[in-house]
Amino acid sequence: MAVFGLWVINKAGGLVYQRNFADGLAQLTSNEYLVLAGTLHGIHAITSRLSPIGSSSGAQVIEAESFKMTILLTATGTKFVLLTSLAETTAESVLQKVYEAYADAVMKNPFHTPEMPIRSDGFDSRINALIGTGQS
Amino acid sequence: MTIYSLYIYDRHCACVYYQDWHRTRRPKPAVEGGILNAVSRAVAPQAADTSAVNTSAYSSPRNTLSFDHRVCRSLDGPKSNALPFDEEAKLVYGVVLSLRNMVKKLSGRDEQFTSYRTSAYKLHLYETMSGYKFIMLSDPSTDGLRFILRQIYNGPFVDYVARNPLVSMDSREQGIDNDYFRASVDRLIRGLSVFT
Repeated sequence: MAVFGLWVINKAGGLVYQRNFADGLAQLTSNEYLVLAGTLHGIHAITSRLSPIGSSSGAQVIEAESFKMTILLTATGTKFVLLTSLAETTAESVLQKVYEAYADAVMKNPFHTPEMPIRSDGFDSRINALIGTGQS
Repeated sequence: MTIYSLYIYDRHCACVYYQDWHRTRRPKPAVEGGILNAVSRAVAPQAADTSAVNTSAYSSPRNTLSFDHRVCRSLDGPKSNALPFDEEAKLVYGVVLSLRNMVKKLSGRDEQFTSYRTSAYKLHLYETMSGYKFIMLSDPSTDGLRFILRQIYNGPFVDYVARNPLVSMDSREQGIDNDYFRASVDRLIRGLSVFT
Protein backbone atom coordinates (compact mmCIF):
# COMPACT_ATOMS: atom_id res chain seq x y z
CA MET A 1 0.00 0.00 0.00
CA ALA A 2 2.16 2.82 -1.22
CA VAL A 3 1.84 6.08 -3.06
CA PHE A 4 4.59 6.48 -5.63
CA GLY A 5 3.90 9.89 -7.11
CA LEU A 6 1.54 12.78 -7.77
CA TRP A 7 1.27 14.80 -10.99
CA VAL A 8 -0.88 17.83 -11.74
CA ILE A 9 -1.46 18.50 -15.45
CA ASN A 10 -2.99 21.74 -16.71
CA LYS A 11 -5.70 21.91 -19.32
CA ALA A 12 -3.23 22.28 -22.18
CA GLY A 13 -1.43 19.07 -21.23
CA GLY A 14 1.60 20.63 -19.55
CA LEU A 15 2.91 19.28 -16.27
CA VAL A 16 2.63 21.92 -13.53
CA TYR A 17 3.45 19.85 -10.45
CA GLN A 18 5.27 16.56 -9.99
CA ARG A 19 6.40 14.88 -6.83
CA ASN A 20 7.67 11.42 -5.92
CA PHE A 21 6.95 9.73 -2.60
CA ALA A 22 7.73 6.08 -1.98
CA ASP A 23 10.28 4.18 -4.06
CA GLY A 24 9.10 1.63 -6.53
CA LEU A 25 9.15 3.39 -9.87
CA ALA A 26 12.11 4.45 -11.96
CA GLN A 27 13.78 7.78 -11.32
CA LEU A 28 13.29 9.93 -14.40
CA THR A 29 14.50 13.40 -15.36
CA SER A 30 12.06 16.28 -15.24
CA ASN A 31 12.05 16.40 -19.02
CA GLU A 32 10.87 12.81 -19.18
CA TYR A 33 8.07 13.57 -16.75
CA LEU A 34 7.00 16.46 -18.98
CA VAL A 35 6.86 14.16 -22.00
CA LEU A 36 4.93 11.48 -20.11
CA ALA A 37 2.40 14.01 -18.86
CA GLY A 38 1.79 15.24 -22.40
CA THR A 39 1.36 11.67 -23.60
CA LEU A 40 -1.10 10.94 -20.83
CA HIS A 41 -3.09 14.03 -21.71
CA GLY A 42 -3.43 12.82 -25.29
CA ILE A 43 -4.28 9.26 -24.28
CA HIS A 44 -6.96 10.54 -21.92
CA ALA A 45 -8.61 12.40 -24.78
CA ILE A 46 -8.52 9.42 -27.13
CA THR A 47 -9.93 6.97 -24.60
CA SER A 48 -13.16 8.94 -24.41
CA ARG A 49 -13.58 8.45 -28.17
CA LEU A 50 -13.15 4.69 -28.19
CA SER A 51 -16.25 3.90 -26.18
CA PRO A 52 -18.40 1.13 -27.65
CA ILE A 53 -21.53 2.56 -26.11
CA GLY A 54 -21.66 6.22 -26.85
CA SER A 55 -20.22 8.95 -24.68
CA SER A 56 -17.65 8.11 -22.07
CA SER A 57 -15.28 9.94 -19.77
CA GLY A 58 -11.56 9.63 -20.34
CA ALA A 59 -9.53 6.90 -18.67
CA GLN A 60 -9.90 6.99 -14.89
CA VAL A 61 -7.70 4.13 -13.75
CA ILE A 62 -4.80 2.64 -15.71
CA GLU A 63 -3.42 -0.58 -14.30
CA ALA A 64 -0.08 -2.22 -14.89
CA GLU A 65 1.52 -5.18 -13.19
CA SER A 66 2.98 -3.42 -10.15
CA PHE A 67 1.34 0.00 -10.02
CA LYS A 68 -1.73 1.87 -11.15
CA MET A 69 -2.51 5.46 -12.11
CA THR A 70 -5.72 7.09 -10.92
CA ILE A 71 -6.77 10.19 -12.83
CA LEU A 72 -9.17 12.87 -11.61
CA LEU A 73 -10.35 15.24 -14.31
CA THR A 74 -11.81 18.43 -12.86
CA ALA A 75 -14.48 20.58 -14.47
CA THR A 76 -11.84 23.13 -15.48
CA GLY A 77 -9.73 20.63 -17.41
CA THR A 78 -6.99 20.16 -14.82
CA LYS A 79 -5.91 16.54 -14.28
CA PHE A 80 -4.66 15.14 -10.99
CA VAL A 81 -2.78 11.87 -11.42
CA LEU A 82 -1.83 9.65 -8.50
CA LEU A 83 0.56 6.73 -9.03
CA THR A 84 0.07 4.06 -6.38
CA SER A 85 0.59 0.40 -5.79
CA LEU A 86 -2.15 -1.94 -6.97
CA ALA A 87 -3.47 -2.61 -3.47
CA GLU A 88 -4.21 1.03 -2.69
CA THR A 89 -7.96 1.59 -2.44
CA THR A 90 -8.08 5.20 -1.28
CA ALA A 91 -6.62 6.80 -4.40
CA GLU A 92 -9.80 8.59 -5.45
CA SER A 93 -10.45 10.15 -2.04
CA VAL A 94 -6.81 11.22 -1.79
CA LEU A 95 -7.15 12.91 -5.16
CA GLN A 96 -10.26 14.76 -4.01
CA LYS A 97 -8.33 16.10 -1.01
CA VAL A 98 -5.42 17.06 -3.27
CA TYR A 99 -7.92 19.01 -5.38
CA GLU A 100 -9.13 20.80 -2.26
CA ALA A 101 -5.56 21.63 -1.29
CA TYR A 102 -4.96 22.89 -4.83
CA ALA A 103 -8.03 25.15 -4.67
CA ASP A 104 -6.95 26.53 -1.29
CA ALA A 105 -3.20 26.90 -1.62
CA VAL A 106 -2.72 27.47 -5.33
CA MET A 107 -5.82 29.00 -6.87
CA LYS A 108 -6.40 31.45 -4.06
CA ASN A 109 -2.76 32.55 -4.13
CA PRO A 110 -2.67 36.00 -5.78
CA PHE A 111 0.95 35.49 -6.82
CA HIS A 112 0.29 32.29 -8.73
CA THR A 113 -0.36 32.44 -12.48
CA PRO A 114 -2.93 29.87 -13.54
CA GLU A 115 -1.71 27.03 -15.76
CA MET A 116 1.91 27.78 -14.82
CA PRO A 117 4.18 25.47 -12.76
CA ILE A 118 3.24 25.43 -9.09
CA ARG A 119 5.89 26.80 -6.73
CA SER A 120 4.06 27.12 -3.45
CA ASP A 121 5.26 26.11 0.01
CA GLY A 122 1.71 26.10 1.26
CA PHE A 123 0.69 23.51 -1.33
CA ASP A 124 3.79 21.41 -0.61
CA SER A 125 3.13 21.33 3.10
CA ARG A 126 -0.53 20.42 2.61
CA ILE A 127 0.48 17.57 0.33
CA ASN A 128 3.03 16.44 2.93
CA ALA A 129 0.32 16.36 5.57
CA LEU A 130 -1.96 14.45 3.24
CA ILE A 131 0.38 11.85 1.77
CA GLY A 132 3.48 12.05 3.95
CA THR A 133 6.12 9.62 2.81
CA GLY A 134 3.72 7.55 0.78
CA GLN A 135 4.30 4.36 2.75
CA SER A 136 1.53 3.15 5.04
CA MET B 1 -21.55 -7.20 -16.54
CA THR B 2 -21.06 -7.65 -20.19
CA ILE B 3 -18.48 -7.83 -22.94
CA TYR B 4 -18.56 -5.42 -25.83
CA SER B 5 -15.90 -6.32 -28.35
CA LEU B 6 -12.63 -8.08 -29.12
CA TYR B 7 -9.77 -6.93 -31.35
CA ILE B 8 -6.70 -8.95 -32.28
CA TYR B 9 -3.60 -7.26 -33.70
CA ASP B 10 -0.54 -9.01 -35.13
CA ARG B 11 3.07 -8.02 -34.80
CA HIS B 12 2.87 -5.86 -37.95
CA CYS B 13 0.55 -3.52 -36.04
CA ALA B 14 -2.44 -4.40 -38.23
CA CYS B 15 -5.87 -5.45 -37.01
CA VAL B 16 -6.36 -9.06 -38.06
CA TYR B 17 -9.60 -9.90 -36.27
CA TYR B 18 -12.62 -8.16 -34.82
CA GLN B 19 -15.75 -9.42 -33.12
CA ASP B 20 -18.39 -7.67 -31.09
CA TRP B 21 -21.30 -8.66 -28.90
CA HIS B 22 -23.11 -5.89 -27.17
CA ARG B 23 -22.03 -2.65 -28.78
CA THR B 24 -24.87 -0.19 -28.95
CA ARG B 25 -23.01 2.08 -31.33
CA ARG B 26 -22.47 0.03 -34.45
CA PRO B 27 -19.06 0.46 -36.06
CA LYS B 28 -19.16 2.08 -39.44
CA PRO B 29 -17.76 -0.06 -42.24
CA ALA B 30 -14.18 0.62 -43.14
CA VAL B 31 -13.22 2.53 -46.23
CA GLU B 32 -11.90 0.53 -49.13
CA GLY B 33 -8.31 -0.44 -48.54
CA GLY B 34 -8.46 0.63 -44.93
CA ILE B 35 -8.41 -2.81 -43.40
CA LEU B 36 -7.17 -6.18 -44.51
CA ASN B 37 -9.53 -8.75 -45.99
CA ALA B 38 -10.85 -11.39 -43.64
CA VAL B 39 -10.99 -9.31 -40.48
CA SER B 40 -14.71 -9.33 -39.94
CA ARG B 41 -17.64 -9.40 -42.26
CA ALA B 42 -19.48 -6.84 -40.21
CA VAL B 43 -16.97 -4.11 -40.88
CA ALA B 44 -15.69 -5.02 -44.32
CA PRO B 45 -15.75 -2.09 -46.74
CA GLN B 46 -18.80 -1.83 -48.93
CA ALA B 47 -18.00 -1.85 -52.63
CA ALA B 48 -18.89 1.74 -53.49
CA ASP B 49 -19.41 1.41 -57.25
CA THR B 50 -21.79 -1.57 -57.16
CA SER B 51 -24.06 0.05 -54.57
CA ALA B 52 -24.43 3.16 -56.76
CA VAL B 53 -25.53 0.95 -59.66
CA ASN B 54 -27.99 -0.84 -57.38
CA THR B 55 -29.80 2.23 -56.12
CA SER B 56 -30.51 3.47 -59.61
CA ALA B 57 -31.47 0.09 -61.10
CA TYR B 58 -33.50 -1.31 -58.23
CA SER B 59 -37.18 -0.67 -57.70
CA SER B 60 -38.66 1.81 -55.27
CA PRO B 61 -39.50 -0.53 -52.35
CA ARG B 62 -35.79 -1.17 -51.96
CA ASN B 63 -35.12 2.56 -52.12
CA THR B 64 -37.81 3.59 -49.69
CA LEU B 65 -36.64 0.92 -47.29
CA SER B 66 -33.21 2.40 -47.16
CA PHE B 67 -34.67 5.89 -47.08
CA ASP B 68 -36.88 5.03 -44.15
CA HIS B 69 -33.90 3.59 -42.45
CA ARG B 70 -32.05 6.80 -42.96
CA VAL B 71 -34.96 8.95 -41.79
CA CYS B 72 -35.35 6.87 -38.65
CA ARG B 73 -31.72 7.31 -37.90
CA SER B 74 -31.36 10.91 -38.95
CA LEU B 75 -31.94 12.03 -35.38
CA ASP B 76 -28.93 9.96 -34.50
CA GLY B 77 -26.90 10.93 -37.53
CA PRO B 78 -25.42 14.33 -36.77
CA LYS B 79 -24.82 13.45 -33.14
CA SER B 80 -23.07 10.13 -33.63
CA ASN B 81 -19.51 10.88 -34.50
CA ALA B 82 -18.82 7.23 -35.12
CA LEU B 83 -15.50 6.58 -36.74
CA PRO B 84 -15.06 4.23 -39.68
CA PHE B 85 -13.81 0.92 -38.42
CA ASP B 86 -10.29 1.17 -39.78
CA GLU B 87 -9.71 4.48 -38.00
CA GLU B 88 -11.15 3.13 -34.80
CA ALA B 89 -8.89 0.08 -34.99
CA LYS B 90 -5.86 2.30 -35.50
CA LEU B 91 -6.88 4.49 -32.56
CA VAL B 92 -7.24 1.46 -30.30
CA TYR B 93 -3.81 0.21 -31.33
CA GLY B 94 -2.30 3.66 -30.86
CA VAL B 95 -3.71 4.01 -27.36
CA VAL B 96 -2.44 0.58 -26.40
CA LEU B 97 1.02 1.22 -27.81
CA SER B 98 1.38 4.62 -26.13
CA LEU B 99 0.19 3.30 -22.79
CA ARG B 100 2.59 0.38 -23.04
CA ASN B 101 5.54 2.69 -23.65
CA MET B 102 4.49 5.00 -20.86
CA VAL B 103 4.19 2.16 -18.34
CA LYS B 104 7.53 0.74 -19.38
CA LYS B 105 9.16 4.16 -18.98
CA LEU B 106 7.59 4.82 -15.60
CA SER B 107 8.38 1.54 -14.00
CA GLY B 108 11.83 1.17 -15.47
CA ARG B 109 11.35 -2.57 -15.73
CA ASP B 110 9.97 -4.46 -18.68
CA GLU B 111 6.43 -4.13 -17.40
CA GLN B 112 3.14 -4.63 -19.18
CA PHE B 113 0.10 -2.46 -18.81
CA THR B 114 -2.88 -4.71 -18.20
CA SER B 115 -6.05 -2.64 -18.35
CA TYR B 116 -7.63 0.78 -18.08
CA ARG B 117 -11.09 1.86 -17.02
CA THR B 118 -13.28 4.80 -18.04
CA SER B 119 -16.78 5.62 -16.87
CA ALA B 120 -18.33 3.64 -19.74
CA TYR B 121 -15.99 0.74 -20.53
CA LYS B 122 -12.87 -1.13 -19.50
CA LEU B 123 -10.15 -2.20 -21.90
CA HIS B 124 -8.06 -5.31 -21.18
CA LEU B 125 -4.84 -6.22 -22.98
CA TYR B 126 -3.07 -9.54 -23.27
CA GLU B 127 0.10 -9.72 -25.33
CA THR B 128 1.65 -13.00 -26.43
CA MET B 129 5.33 -13.78 -26.93
CA SER B 130 4.81 -13.82 -30.67
CA GLY B 131 3.60 -10.24 -30.73
CA TYR B 132 -0.15 -10.83 -31.01
CA LYS B 133 -2.20 -8.43 -28.92
CA PHE B 134 -5.63 -9.46 -27.68
CA ILE B 135 -7.72 -6.47 -26.65
CA MET B 136 -11.15 -6.77 -25.09
CA LEU B 137 -13.63 -4.03 -24.17
CA SER B 138 -16.05 -4.81 -21.38
CA ASP B 139 -18.22 -2.90 -18.97
CA PRO B 140 -16.41 -1.03 -16.17
CA SER B 141 -17.38 -3.28 -13.28
CA THR B 142 -15.65 -6.36 -14.70
CA ASP B 143 -12.54 -7.59 -12.95
CA GLY B 144 -9.42 -8.62 -14.80
CA LEU B 145 -10.27 -10.32 -18.05
CA ARG B 146 -6.66 -11.12 -18.86
CA PHE B 147 -7.26 -14.70 -17.89
CA ILE B 148 -10.12 -14.93 -20.39
CA LEU B 149 -7.96 -13.45 -23.11
CA ARG B 150 -5.30 -15.98 -22.28
CA GLN B 151 -7.91 -18.71 -22.56
CA ILE B 152 -8.90 -17.41 -25.98
CA TYR B 153 -5.28 -17.58 -27.02
CA ASN B 154 -4.69 -21.07 -25.59
CA GLY B 155 -7.92 -22.52 -26.92
CA PRO B 156 -9.55 -21.24 -30.11
CA PHE B 157 -6.56 -19.27 -31.37
CA VAL B 158 -4.04 -22.10 -31.20
CA ASP B 159 -6.53 -24.67 -32.46
CA TYR B 160 -8.20 -22.80 -35.30
CA VAL B 161 -5.65 -20.22 -36.35
CA ALA B 162 -2.13 -21.33 -35.50
CA ARG B 163 -2.76 -24.94 -36.41
CA ASN B 164 -4.86 -24.10 -39.46
CA PRO B 165 -2.82 -24.50 -42.66
CA LEU B 166 -5.29 -22.38 -44.62
CA VAL B 167 -4.89 -19.30 -42.45
CA SER B 168 -1.84 -17.25 -43.35
CA MET B 169 -0.83 -15.87 -40.01
CA ASP B 170 2.03 -13.56 -40.64
CA SER B 171 0.94 -12.15 -43.96
CA ARG B 172 0.50 -8.47 -44.44
CA GLU B 173 -2.67 -8.68 -46.55
CA GLN B 174 -4.95 -11.12 -44.78
CA GLY B 175 -6.79 -11.18 -41.52
CA ILE B 176 -7.46 -14.40 -39.62
CA ASP B 177 -11.23 -14.54 -39.77
CA ASN B 178 -12.61 -18.03 -40.24
CA ASP B 179 -15.88 -19.61 -39.21
CA TYR B 180 -14.52 -22.13 -36.71
CA PHE B 181 -12.49 -19.53 -34.88
CA ARG B 182 -15.37 -17.07 -34.77
CA ALA B 183 -17.82 -19.70 -33.55
CA SER B 184 -15.54 -21.07 -30.85
CA VAL B 185 -14.65 -17.62 -29.53
CA ASP B 186 -18.35 -16.81 -29.48
CA ARG B 187 -19.11 -19.99 -27.57
CA LEU B 188 -16.34 -19.31 -25.07
CA ILE B 189 -17.44 -15.74 -24.43
CA ARG B 190 -21.12 -16.53 -24.19
CA GLY B 191 -20.34 -19.28 -21.71
CA LEU B 192 -18.67 -16.90 -19.29
CA SER B 193 -20.41 -15.87 -16.13
CA VAL B 194 -19.65 -12.21 -16.75
CA PHE B 195 -21.50 -12.24 -20.03
CA THR B 196 -25.20 -11.41 -19.90
